[in-house]
Amino acid sequence: MYSENLLENMELVEKTRESREKQQLPILNEKKKEKLLSSFHPDYRLSGFRALRVGVNRGDRTVHEIADLLEAFSSFDYREINFEKPDLETDVLVLGGGGAGITAALFAHSAGAKVILATKLRLGNSNTIMALGGMQASVSENDSPIRHFADTMVAGKFQGRRELVKAMVDDGPSIVKWLLDLGVNFDRDEKGNLLTKKAGGSIAPRILSIGDYTGLNIIKILKDEIRNRPEIEILEFAPAVELTTNEFGECNGAILFDLERKRFVLVKAKSVILATGGSGRLHIQGFQTSNNFGATGDAIVLAYRAGAKLEGLDSFQYHPTGIVYPDHMVGVLVTEAIRSLGAHLVNSKGERFINELETRDVVAAAMIKECEEGKGIKTPSGRVGVWLDTPVIEERYGKGFLKKKFPALFRMFMRVKINIEKQPLLVYPTLHYQNGGILIDEKGETTVKNLFVAGEAAGGIHGKNRLMGNSLLDIFVFGRRAGLAAARRKYNEPGKQTLSHLERYYQELKSLRITTVAKTPRIFQEYIVGD
Amino acid sequence: MSKKLVSIYIEGRKIKVPEGYTVIEALWDTGHDIKRGVGCLSGLCGACAIAYLEKGSKRVRFGLGCQTIVKEGMNITVMPFFPSRTANYIISEMGKPIEKLREIYPELDTCKNCGFCTIACPEWINVSKVMKLLKEGKYEEATEMMLDCILCGLCASRCPYGIAPQFISLFVQRAISHEKPFPENLKKRLKEIEEMKYDEEWGRILQMSDEELVEFCKRIREEA
Ligand SMILES: Cc1cc2nc3c(=O)[nH]c(=O)nc-3n(C[C@H](O)[C@H](O)[C@H](O)COP(=O)(O)OP(=O)(O)OC[C@H]3O[C@@H](n4cnc5c(N)ncnc54)[C@H](O)[C@@H]3O)c2cc1C
Ligand code: SF4
Ligand code: SF4
Ligand code: FES
Repeated sequence: MYSENLLENMELVEKTRESREKQQLPILNEKKKEKLLSSFHPDYRLSGFRALRVGVNRGDRTVHEIADLLEAFSSFDYREINFEKPDLETDVLVLGGGGAGITAALFAHSAGAKVILATKLRLGNSNTIMALGGMQASVSENDSPIRHFADTMVAGKFQGRRELVKAMVDDGPSIVKWLLDLGVNFDRDEKGNLLTKKAGGSIAPRILSIGDYTGLNIIKILKDEIRNRPEIEILEFAPAVELTTNEFGECNGAILFDLERKRFVLVKAKSVILATGGSGRLHIQGFQTSNNFGATGDAIVLAYRAGAKLEGLDSFQYHPTGIVYPDHMVGVLVTEAIRSLGAHLVNSKGERFINELETRDVVAAAMIKECEEGKGIKTPSGRVGVWLDTPVIEERYGKGFLKKKFPALFRMFMRVKINIEKQPLLVYPTLHYQNGGILIDEKGETTVKNLFVAGEAAGGIHGKNRLMGNSLLDIFVFGRRAGLAAARRKYNEPGKQTLSHLERYYQELKSLRITTVAKTPRIFQEYIVGD
Repeated sequence: MSKKLVSIYIEGRKIKVPEGYTVIEALWDTGHDIKRGVGCLSGLCGACAIAYLEKGSKRVRFGLGCQTIVKEGMNITVMPFFPSRTANYIISEMGKPIEKLREIYPELDTCKNCGFCTIACPEWINVSKVMKLLKEGKYEEATEMMLDCILCGLCASRCPYGIAPQFISLFVQRAISHEKPFPENLKKRLKEIEEMKYDEEWGRILQMSDEELVEFCKRIREEA
């Protein structure tokens, strides 16, 4: 139910709906786009960034929130751990139970390795489960892996590494086959072909989906599959808090923290796969986020302290349409498809201000501009946003369309007595995706031997901007590659487990006279609810 | 800004929290270390199942803790891990998995279509009807209805016969998708890749200078 002042402003939205429908907003030329981005996109806000003072990437630019994470000591005192006596031993240790982690575990297991998977929350609770829109893969007739490659490189402003992008797009079709064999029910057309939809920034229809709940339906099946392979040991509510290395600096295990018993679990492994996802819950530059509760960037901290190189952590994706009202839904995503179908973005004066089909970064920048220039709408708790006029779609495609096409969205708002058929939504850009991460090669290995990374935690693929649907693809592709390559290390001699990398890191922090009260990895953000 | 407070009962304890909070927020606000029953905070992951009784109401209701706003006098308990039976099988190794449905989940036929599960579902799925369709062999229709299921387990918690509809339908969903004819468009693309149709071009791409690569990508996109 909307509050009084919002209902008042909403009348204006209704009044201007008809005239807005006739309006054609141009796509901005490159120069105008650049100007808009550099003035209003958070990635260009100089005050949001600083140069890292420690570690392999010293001197590189990143946001304060990530720098704070890295220029810090651990939250834990590890002295009580007996490193001679690991609690568990395995060939492959997978950290993270989202799409990338489960995939890596399944492949490492099929390759004959003994696998342990440890995750922070319940298995599957992740960003993957929340992915609505779909997954890219070049399967349609008028598409090709090369076209997919070109789209990805251009979207990433040529900052993605071409060998990684090639690996991703080239494996796309075979990863779809793997998912189909597991019983994933991608939408089909009348002829039984995989249905492909067009997405912003792509020259061919390439999005595969399962209704408007793609990630959920894939995760349900991956969870079911891993549950049916009892040899894979699964540890829930046991986040990784540090990696261990041997005398050569190679990774050979991790320290987990059992959240229930409140004690450490030392795991020794011949190789480790970090798949703990992104960092939306760090609320970079104060933004609301679409990410799950566990997305606190732990992978970056763990890998960086162990000496792994990072790449591209000066670029994040802000999804234009995050909810700002009601309060308990703040940050939650409204799918892109709503804009693709023609919903307008409307300011407090009842005007459209940007062609809604521009890329995510441009639309987000335009929304921020409106709000900073006083043309946003204020909610009772003091947040600002612009209207996303959903009833336009209902009028265009007929009554009942929204409810039928977007049952999840419809239901979500019906629960709070907002009918998206008749009332617009209030939205503001929401922190959505970590474009960079820990640098990997085509096998998924980092610059630290025997340490692999897959999924959103990895860097080097998406450059400065990720194409919609490429993330779901990359987690399966690199989950598989990392799982298979890690399994091949099962004849390794892992050596003695130590924290000497951490000692070195602490020395560097101290010698730079960095003192900090921040403790990391963060594991969970402390939410101070209340006023 | 000071907000109006409401009194609620959480697992029997009376506490006051600001109006407008969700059950999860109320739990955090009162110092509960809630980790087990939380995940996406978006109503998508099913980790936060709750049961609650509203003041003056005669009936216990069910919902998601991250989506339910507390109300004066509400009596709430969290129940994220309700035990539900899951069968063991490896779909990819079964010839025609759907034929094994009754072997794998014999409890399907003990369902009496009483409808208790439907009442609990926070996704407004007519779970009882799904069960009926499954019994009748209308698998497509049944699993289509379950696409929005978030595996919260609330339906299973209500079933007087201890059936877990969410897992039975998940098996069926996997079984029938697995048996669908392989899509032609994907088959073609896989064949092309197998025959190394793109390898030469990849070779060139990997050799290009940065400028050449930019030009190349531009051209590919314009041709399309
Ligand atoms: C709302 C939303 C919608 C999206 N829609 C799409 C879409 O339509 N298409 C698309 O391609 N992409 C989409 N994305 C992006 C995509 O879903 C994610 O980038 C991707 O799923 C990440 O997968 P992952 O396995 O790397 O990480 P996740 O799926 O986030 O999994 C990480 C796992 O690691 C666990 N973890 C965290 N820290 C630790 C630790 N210290 N130790 C152990 N475990 C830990 C987490 O609990 C979690 O289970 C969307 C993202 C969001 C948030
Ligand atoms: S509650 Fe149990 S018996 Fe009743 S309809 Fe649902 S599954 Fe069948
Ligand atoms: S069908 Fe059952 S498990 Fe699925 S969402 Fe409904 S109540 Fe939850
Ligand atoms: S926390 Fe995921 S549904 Fe509530």
